Amino acid sequence: MSELLSPEILMSIMVAAMGGATVILFAALGELVTERAGIWNMGVEGTMLVGCLVAYLVMAGTGSPILASIAAIGAGMVAGLIIGFMTVTLRVDHFVTGLGFNLLASGLTLFWFRSYVGGGKPPSYSTIDTVPIPGLADIPILGQILFNQHLLTYIALLSVPVIAVFLRRTTFGLETRAAGENPQFLEAKGLSVATRQYAALLFGSALTGLGGAFLMLAFADQFRPDISGGRGWLAIVAVIAGNWKPLRTMAAVLIFAILDSLAVHAQGVGVDVPYQFFLMLPYVASIGLLILIRSRSGQPAKLGVPYLRH
Amino acid sequence: MIEITRRQTVGYRARIVAYLLALVMGFACTSLLIWLSGASVMEGFSALFEGAFGSEEAMLQSLVAATPLIFTGLATVIAYRAEIWSIGQEGQMFAGAMSGYFASLYLGGAPMVVAVPVIILAAMIGGALLGMLCGWLKSRFAVNEIISTVMLNYVIVYFLSYLLAGGPWTAEGSTSYHQTALLADNFRLPLIVSDVKLHIGFLLAILATVLCWGILKFTPFGFEIRALGANPTALRFKGVNVARTILIVMAVSGALSALAGVSEIFGVNYRLKGDVLTGLGFTGIIVGMIGGLNPFGALIAALLFGALENGSLYMSVLSDIPPALVPAMQGILLLFFLSASVIVRYRVRIRRASYV
Amino acid sequence: MTSPTLEVTALCKSFGSVRANHDVTFSVDAGELLCLFGENGAGKSTLSACLTGLYRPDSGEIALEGTPLRLSSAADAIRHGIGLVHQHFVLVPDFTVLENIVVGSETGLFVDFASAEARLRQICESYGIDIDPNARVEDLSVGEQQWAELLKALYFDAKLLILDEPTATLDVEGSKKLFRIIDKLKADGVAIILITHFLEEVMQADRVAVLRQGAVVGIKKTAETSPEELTRMMVGRDLKRQTRQSTPMGTARLALESVTVEGLGERPDLDDISFCVHEGEIFGIAGVAGNGQRPLMEVIAGVRKPKSGIISLDDTVISSKGVHAIKSMGLGHIPEDRFAEGLVRDFSIEENLILGEHRGTFAKGGLLDFRKMAQNAKRLIAEFSIAAPSGETLVGNLSGGNAQRVILAREMQLASKVLLANQPTRGLDVGVIDYIHQCLFNKKAEGVAVVIASSELEDLIALCDRIGVLFQGRLMGIVDARKTNLEEIGLLMAGHALETAV
Repeated sequence: MSELLSPEILMSIMVAAMGGATVILFAALGELVTERAGIWNMGVEGTMLVGCLVAYLVMAGTGSPILASIAAIGAGMVAGLIIGFMTVTLRVDHFVTGLGFNLLASGLTLFWFRSYVGGGKPPSYSTIDTVPIPGLADIPILGQILFNQHLLTYIALLSVPVIAVFLRRTTFGLETRAAGENPQFLEAKGLSVATRQYAALLFGSALTGLGGAFLMLAFADQFRPDISGGRGWLAIVAVIAGNWKPLRTMAAVLIFAILDSLAVHAQGVGVDVPYQFFLMLPYVASIGLLILIRSRSGQPAKLGVPYLRH
Repeated sequence: MIEITRRQTVGYRARIVAYLLALVMGFACTSLLIWLSGASVMEGFSALFEGAFGSEEAMLQSLVAATPLIFTGLATVIAYRAEIWSIGQEGQMFAGAMSGYFASLYLGGAPMVVAVPVIILAAMIGGALLGMLCGWLKSRFAVNEIISTVMLNYVIVYFLSYLLAGGPWTAEGSTSYHQTALLADNFRLPLIVSDVKLHIGFLLAILATVLCWGILKFTPFGFEIRALGANPTALRFKGVNVARTILIVMAVSGALSALAGVSEIFGVNYRLKGDVLTGLGFTGIIVGMIGGLNPFGALIAALLFGALENGSLYMSVLSDIPPALVPAMQGILLLFFLSASVIVRYRVRIRRASYV
Repeated sequence: MTSPTLEVTALCKSFGSVRANHDVTFSVDAGELLCLFGENGAGKSTLSACLTGLYRPDSGEIALEGTPLRLSSAADAIRHGIGLVHQHFVLVPDFTVLENIVVGSETGLFVDFASAEARLRQICESYGIDIDPNARVEDLSVGEQQWAELLKALYFDAKLLILDEPTATLDVEGSKKLFRIIDKLKADGVAIILITHFLEEVMQADRVAVLRQGAVVGIKKTAETSPEELTRMMVGRDLKRQTRQSTPMGTARLALESVTVEGLGERPDLDDISFCVHEGEIFGIAGVAGNGQRPLMEVIAGVRKPKSGIISLDDTVISSKGVHAIKSMGLGHIPEDRFAEGLVRDFSIEENLILGEHRGTFAKGGLLDFRKMAQNAKRLIAEFSIAAPSGETLVGNLSGGNAQRVILAREMQLASKVLLANQPTRGLDVGVIDYIHQCLFNKKAEGVAVVIASSELEDLIALCDRIGVLFQGRLMGIVDARKTNLEEIGLLMAGHALETAV
């Protein structure tokens, strides 16, 4: 065990954790906004998986990470649209919709990937490089962890305050929260609940798709089934454990990412505890977090309640 | 702007039409998928049906494939009727197979009539305990059951991976296969039709279907399950211990899922390995939901999906279409069925939008 | 002559075969207070929904200052200066007062909180409303929330203001203040429609339009009419009010001693409550909504557990027992929210009638006894005049009154010693209300101890032997219903202690 505690390994764990956190953080922030609008979207895992596959196909085809990211965002939005049609327009139970969508996404991506590959070997590409921020990256320890990361990691971290301000200070942010707290209130003000819920879902699912793209571009050189590996679910847990607040959600995401990074390093270093037990850590921790952090005071009052107008 | 109002009652005819429409739409979309992948739609489907229903042997084989799906489908029905959105069927099935295998390690040379019932019982206890853990987390700590079941699915799969890849259950000299040694004859489920490995698990599944139906319809416990799903508050106000009901529901659901694991491992494969089980729990969710959360509905859906599963192998040999078409098709069908089940409850009108 | 602010001509609105509004015609002038007076179900709420764009009338015309309007959404109504103050507040509890008010009137990317707050403070000052714009609504008292609800409408300079039962949540002081604000609005030239079923409020209006069964049965100047005449118009006959029979009271049946129930925040939901209810007594619970009525009923029924104190039924301590055990001792409980707490919508009448008894009386050999269920339902449907095609009808398809009869049928059977009824008549029409009151009197005659919480003070005074008044979870006093009056109860409801306890 002590091998894991050497300064170099700890440093390496933290640097990798920031990258891993980016994937979950995008999804968690997207889910946070979606849930604040009252939609309990359980389809995050499936949305991310679709984002992964689309990013992979575009990256393998064009070699452009930017195009791959844009395509994954688009794929995420299509997923959001489907989930929105089911939950907002048809008012299918939010949980049922999410579960159904995940199963659809897992089946579709598998089929798409297998028919794309055919009998041959799946194409691969080299992962994208980090973008050190000049000056800041040279700060000891912190510089490596915070300022020698991928461009999308910076964007994800900056999104935290941006989304916090959006929800508190902007007109549309206030209206989005009102949709989750009391949709009837919005309607009485003459504002459409559905518009805000669709917008939140499109935005949230786009971010989740982007998270999937980052997973493909920075960590994997080729797609494999179920590559998202529960990260979408961890994002949902992060939102709950973060009491629906952006900064606390980010803290929960970091815990998962560090544990995940720890597991990868444990495998590499060769610890005498079987590596499978390390791999369980983020999932066990997620349940532990939900047991420990019991406050749900930030939960939108009408989260997951399909809204039927008069 | 689409305006939707609730209907008072839904006629049987409207329901049948809606479900047929969902089925047609599902097949249409699947055809589109096949066409997009560049294969021939007609060839694909005909190979699929040939493989599923083409001969007596194929049909019996379809029943074998349907057996675990009946169990996980029923597990879904019981939990979802109580509006407990467990997706732990997968993990509970693994837990069941593992508990059954664990029991078999202590059964040595016990005769089959003793060994098999003990294995089945042990498996059911294992699945039930895992289910109850999620039920307890839900009622005691308000941990959402979807999340706890998903997370425990991953934990269980990693645990099995440890046991089989270098851990205590690894078959000697076969670390790379991630499987146990072959099971002794006295641990195997007796066969009904030996050529195709149609085992007694299938009869057990039919029995379980009838039992689930009877419990839901005729017993006070079934009454509580349905009331729990519809209005837990009213149940609490009338003095029913809701936490205990949740525990029992999850135990039953877990035990049913466990039977899926037993029938695959002890009835078909004769050794414990992860990848023969993977996905059967999730497909069970689709089976239960497409079956309208009715035990007999789930039975029909399971038979259909078992046939598709069975036919997909044949299809992949005869055409370029990968067997992965079947999970894709199941997902598509599920979404259309879910939409249909809701649409029949509403009257849909188009009206001018004037909202901002 | 200028056009009236609002002119409604021959407005009709039906839901299926139910005529909610039929040929409604009336007008309101600028600076006038018109009262819409009628029973529950007379069509008042439908009419206000038509005037604010939530419903669209089937036929008829709505004209604002002489211009015909077609309102198709709440946005339309707001744009035309029609404001609605809802009976059940439509506020976001998690938002501050200011946030609740600015939503919908801001157009920029960022909310300009500074200037919005300045404007809100100015409005508060001019109408004499004392409220902190930055307080979160969920931290406000129910009365303060009513002011927040009113401010939502005042913020956008309404020409026409519709107030839907605004005093239901206000104490006596609050009501007086509301009418001072209304006077100020009238002076500013705002036309006001007040929807109410309180006669004393009606008499403060300039004119009153009486609704019965969806139609306007008459419009009177208040100066030229009397409360008696209005009541006759509203009910269509002379009102015969049931009043308590003076049966002798027996021994104490239900007793609470220093019962305290914890709340979510600092303040307990119930604070040191002691009283007892005798055999054959109807004990009323009065109070502004949300002052502890629900926790009181729930703690007696065993749904919640007290933190301290003792509750006993016929000298047996029940505060440590569960719902089932207490119920089996002879306690019936009619909960406040009939569909959320009392019934399962997706279940049939038969099934709802056995809820709670499904493991006892109605189980045989481990299975449900369907024959007994059907017989039970048939008998109770007849006995309690539940209007339903059969016992297999889903409760979700029943009207509020019939749904309440199902609960009544189930709970009256259980209540051989104690009957708890929380707001049993809310939202029901007079026929059902009379019936429910009759049921309570029957129980009284059988020697049952009845506890009823209601927001209808006049009903309480007519029904009860004694009335206890709750304020912020404390029992402010118990008054003799024969000797008390609305003023005295009103003061207690506002938190003023009683000088002489009964």
